[in-house]
Amino acid sequence: MTSRPRRIVVTVTPQGTVTAETVGFTDDTCLDYIAVLEELLDAQTVQSAYTAEYASATTEVPQEDREVARAEEWPGAR
Amino acid sequence: MSVSLILLPLAVAAVTAYQGTRSERDADGRIICQVRTRMRDATLLAAALEETNARVTRDDQQIIAEWQGVRARFVRGEDGIWAAHFSGEVDEARAVEIVSAIDASYGRQVQRAVLQRLRDRAATVGLRLESETVTEDNSVQLVFAVEGRG
Repeated sequence: MTSRPRRIVVTVTPQGTVTAETVGFTDDTCLDYIAVLEELLDAQTVQSAYTAEYASATTEVPQEDREVARAEEWPGAR
Repeated sequence: MSVSLILLPLAVAAVTAYQGTRSERDADGRIICQVRTRMRDATLLAAALEETNARVTRDDQQIIAEWQGVRARFVRGEDGIWAAHFSGEVDEARAVEIVSAIDASYGRQVQRAVLQRLRDRAATVGLRLESETVTEDNSVQLVFAVEGRG
């Protein structure tokens, strides 16, 4: 099986918030990049979820997004 | 297996753009309007104020911004968040309007700072910039190839 290239897509809005998505990871090393991005951006993760790609790569987890870590009540996420 | 994240730069407090508006009178009977902001970074705040054509002066304790007829004194709270105290030709509605304009400018300053940080430092953590695109809403999307941790 040919593995997809691993990428990280970062979007920085004019409001100063940042969204990031890992793409093409086949293991949980994608989670390592949460801390890497926080350090790189001097930022804190306020919401996180597995993507549809995660759901398609596994059979044990439900299809809906799952909370990964440190999701907080944050007005900007509403 | 992939994750999506929302990150908030430390320069931005996790609160609404402005809050806690209240008015009081100073010793001379002049109205002072106070508005709390979400802004934490003094340098970016000063740059945002200059972008609104304010005359800006600052010292360790405060940042003063003056427009025609309106003066704002920004002081940092114990939580590190700046609050604005408006005086002059201003009421609460006008104070909120001004803070809203400053906040929009501050957001753009944060965007620039974050993008610069990404461009400067991504390679040090094994990320190679493949593309950079400006979207319709003026967000900037950067795609990085993961080349391993450097």
